[in-house]
Amino acid sequence: MAEGLARDASIFVAACVCGVASGLFGIGGGVLLVPFLALFFAFGQHRAQGTSLVALIPPTGLLAFLAYARAGYVHWKIGLLLIPGVIVGGILGGLLAKRLQPQRMRQVFAGVMFVLGIWQAAAAWWR
Amino acid sequence: MTLTVLLLGLAVGVLVGLLGIGGGVVLVPAMVYLLHMDQHMAQGTSLLILLPPVGLGALREYWKQDQVDVRAGILCALGMFVGGYAGGLIAVPLTSRHLKGLFGCFLILAAFLLWRKPQPKSPVADSVGEESSRG
Repeated sequence: MAEGLARDASIFVAACVCGVASGLFGIGGGVLLVPFLALFFAFGQHRAQGTSLVALIPPTGLLAFLAYARAGYVHWKIGLLLIPGVIVGGILGGLLAKRLQPQRMRQVFAGVMFVLGIWQAAAAWWR
Repeated sequence: MTLTVLLLGLAVGVLVGLLGIGGGVVLVPAMVYLLHMDQHMAQGTSLLILLPPVGLGALREYWKQDQVDVRAGILCALGMFVGGYAGGLIAVPLTSRHLKGLFGCFLILAAFLLWRKPQPKSPVADSVGEESSRG
């Protein structure tokens, strides 16, 4: 029981860290949550991804969103246009995940993110 | 323009389902570079997109395969809700340039974490995994 509680508490703390990243960078937080669950809590890859999707169902970014909206940092038209595509694509991706090796996909994705990250950091530095 | 935006949404959605992520990490740079948005504007808009349950369709597929830990998921949602507020408060007063730089560093870190893979075949990870699925 106590062990379960300790695990619950540490999952909550890890999620708080993901939340800070979520608000700070305007992201869902799953990109951090999936590796956290896999690395620290020994979740299998599919299970970590499924659990991360549960965490993304409620509007966890609401408070962060309001902070941005108050400052006028929301492009409503483009935002609303993007939503349907993301939902439909999500279903396709879920179906694909069953067939593909998620490990390979993840590594390709990590590679793209790495390049993108270096590009963004460099662009911000030398301007 | 409208078509580009719709297609972009679709492409991001595939990644949402495939990788179990929110998609913001792709949406933000895509909006900055493809749609020429300011960094703050892209992040705020990304948070707007993530308000509805965009991952619900993908979740259904994972659910069918019993690859979901609901208890941990709810705890994570609570933690992210609290942490998200703090993150939003930190981000808004930053200059766009600093925020962009930070975002870049975060992408590099996240890429590193994502690349690292705990060995699924190791006996320790297996036994812990079993325990956690029971808990």
